[in-house]
Amino acid sequence: MTWLERLLGALADAGVEYILVGGMAARAHGSARLTQDVDISYARSDANLARIVAALAPLEPYLRGAPPGLPFDWSAGTLRHGLNFTLTTTSGDIDLLGEIVGGGRYEDLLPHSTVVPVFGHEIRILDLPWLIRVKRAAGRPKDLEVVAELEVLREEIERGGA
Amino acid sequence: MTIPSALVREARQRAGLSQKELAERAGTSQPAIARIESGRGSVTLATLTRMVAAAGFELVMELSPGGVDDAVIAAYRRDVDRSLLRHNLQRSVDERLRAGAEMVTAGHELSRAVRTAAGRSGRPK
Repeated sequence: MTWLERLLGALADAGVEYILVGGMAARAHGSARLTQDVDISYARSDANLARIVAALAPLEPYLRGAPPGLPFDWSAGTLRHGLNFTLTTTSGDIDLLGEIVGGGRYEDLLPHSTVVPVFGHEIRILDLPWLIRVKRAAGRPKDLEVVAELEVLREEIERGGA
Repeated sequence: MTIPSALVREARQRAGLSQKELAERAGTSQPAIARIESGRGSVTLATLTRMVAAAGFELVMELSPGGVDDAVIAAYRRDVDRSLLRHNLQRSVDERLRAGAEMVTAGHELSRAVRTAAGRSGRPK
């Protein structure tokens, strides 16, 4: 089992409400680009924060790039007092995004997502048009490169590639 | 979500304010802030400037040449390898994701091997 299967499995088993966004969502749609982390837009309800904490606790989440040994309280309270978190775990890196540029919050993205069976779980993924939209809004050079690939990917899908 | 609503929400959150607190600072009501942040209705530039200022920020607007992003994207599009995309589209979602994860793992292992070899040969890591 890959690190990605363990990570997505942990979220699914805990019933976390989230939408897969970013590079891994692009990969799911058919992008050929590699990405090293999992980006998710997550619901900010108290119940969902508790689910996220329970899901990731066994994977020992820690602030990515922070010096080892820095006190980090992995709790719903910590999540409630922040918005976006870049974490490393024993099953890969994950970014928890309370809000994303050009897309808004989980509830804003929900109508633009689709449920896909992945590794035996039903996982919600941001749809391709909105993935392109948020990447355009991010606007960094690397995002524009991704937009180019995703637009070509959309053309290939419309031509019957998938 | 509109750009003004996102700006107001971001300014408020970055300032660590609740909607009620921002409303008090801006001389308006919490429902008015909620309405703006939800993107319902229009917001004048003056109101937007006031809301952002109440959160301690300055609204800066500037002109940018149009179509720059599109020109960059068009340039990148020429280099996209369609054969890789077609190959991926023939795979299931599971296969696409699993292959990506395995390549990332292989990349990490390769990096470790290179660092180890560099250490053995005495070269800087």
